[in-house]
Amino acid sequence: MLPHRSRLSVAVFLAPPLLLFGGGVLLPIVQSLGLSFYEWDGITGLDFVGLANYRELLLHDDVFRTALVNQLGYLAICLLLQVGGGLLVATLLISITRGREVLKVLYLMPAVISTPAIALLFQRVYSYEPVGLVNTLLNAVGLGALARPWLSDVSTVLAAVSAPEGWRFLGLYTVILYAALLAVPKELEEAASLDGANPLQVFTRIRFPHIMPVFVTTLIMATTYALRGFDIPFLLTNGGPGQASELVTTYMYKTAFTSGHYGSASAISVIIVLECLVAVGLILLLLRRKAA
Amino acid sequence: MHRSPLPADGSRDRTAPPRRRRPSPLRISTVVSRVLIAAVLVVQVYPFLWLLQTSLRDRQDFASANPFSLPAQLTFDNVVRAIEQGDLLRNILNSLLITGGACLLLVVCGMAGAYAIAVLGFRFSGLAKGLFLLGIVVPVQVALVPLFIDYSRLGILDTRAAVIIPLAGFALPMALYLFLSFYSYIPRELYEAATLDGAGPYRIFARITLPMSWNTVVTVVMVNAIFIWNDFIFANTFLLSEELKTIPLGLQNYIGAMGNTDWTATFAAVSITVTPLLLVFLVLNRAMIYGLESGASKG
Repeated sequence: MLPHRSRLSVAVFLAPPLLLFGGGVLLPIVQSLGLSFYEWDGITGLDFVGLANYRELLLHDDVFRTALVNQLGYLAICLLLQVGGGLLVATLLISITRGREVLKVLYLMPAVISTPAIALLFQRVYSYEPVGLVNTLLNAVGLGALARPWLSDVSTVLAAVSAPEGWRFLGLYTVILYAALLAVPKELEEAASLDGANPLQVFTRIRFPHIMPVFVTTLIMATTYALRGFDIPFLLTNGGPGQASELVTTYMYKTAFTSGHYGSASAISVIIVLECLVAVGLILLLLRRKAA
Repeated sequence: MHRSPLPADGSRDRTAPPRRRRPSPLRISTVVSRVLIAAVLVVQVYPFLWLLQTSLRDRQDFASANPFSLPAQLTFDNVVRAIEQGDLLRNILNSLLITGGACLLLVVCGMAGAYAIAVLGFRFSGLAKGLFLLGIVVPVQVALVPLFIDYSRLGILDTRAAVIIPLAGFALPMALYLFLSFYSYIPRELYEAATLDGAGPYRIFARITLPMSWNTVVTVVMVNAIFIWNDFIFANTFLLSEELKTIPLGLQNYIGAMGNTDWTATFAAVSITVTPLLLVFLVLNRAMIYGLESGASKG
């Protein structure tokens, strides 16, 4: 703490960030919460309905329930690809000696690309007519019977819109986990190897416990980002066909900006916030119990 | 070209301790791990090579031959068509203005906030830190409806400010934490000496803290510029007129209008919009990777 600071100087430095954060983030959160108790079409007067929006969504809205279940599938695929895949690739990177820096950069490339470009790419990757990349590969290895229009087949569309998001940030989580793995003391690994531990044991007993704090952060990051995932499903299928790839986020967007039900949309966005908070709480709770 | 800190032949500068065993001929596990690394690399990078190759390919050649084969000859016709038909250059200018504005706001607010919390200190600084942390967990969707309503009342809907404010606001927590963790490394003695020489909080900020912050500023800007440049959801909600549309929106428009009729020009349009950021990233990747790593381990 500086000896000659004044209250005024604290206020001068604190005011800009508080204004920006208050106006851009905190105030909208409070407003969303308030608005979720009203019915409002944006034109006529506000109509206080209490918890009716939430009751309607949770008890009577089939689309919302489908969207909730889909969001969980989306989350599972993203976590598997981002945290699972990232951990695997980071571990592999540790085992090689050459070109690791170049590989890190190349793996990160998809994270730099804007989502409409990614959506266009994956439309071509999944396409059936003309034959896209996935179906070309299936035909080439003799699995042509599995070829299908991945984005219009109800049974595959959810996985097909989730994979690009996982693919896109695989490199990001690889880089973060790789940095954590690099910091594991080499003496510990060597000592374990000398005591006869195999590579898998070195990983589960030495490396993984050591990177646990960073792993938890990545898990929280990946989970909250997957729960708010929006761009790619919105651009690829806009929730269709039917509601097969509808997510809570795309449904919220449509409820607000297509149907004009601002109160109901606010209730959905409050539910998304709650999902994120619950998920973070669960992750911390489960991992703490495991460690204890 | 990308500069690697490792020598090209990998012979010197091994960071691992000297090996006790002689390096055995390639073991199965080594082979498997190299194959996997290469496979992931192909999956991550091949789509871009295909994109670039297709955008330089002759229109008829692409339509008649296998879309995944190499082009017979290279042509820039698609690039010319894409620029003539779209507003891509205006979109790029808009993206530059919005990204620049949001980054400037972000850096100024992040630095000032971290200075107030870490260097000046006040009674509720812990509370302030926790408040900002909330912004890392809360999803951006929650702000869409309220800001849409607030902006239309204030009359700033469909202006650049309407996207700059929430983009900077949601990026602020991470930036603030990066500055906070850097400011905790500046030695106290430096401030004490400056205070003895009669410097007040403003002069200390201008003469000590600010000049020492440049590396962190670069990191914060690099990491956030990618996400702000690629923002789709705020721009799609708050920007309505064509003159203000950014790269992701312009690209989406272009794909919607031309995507089914002129494939090669559409790929060229994607390449035009993707290349600048990709080049910046390939040249300045160190600052970005450093920021991503430290953001996750300290956030």
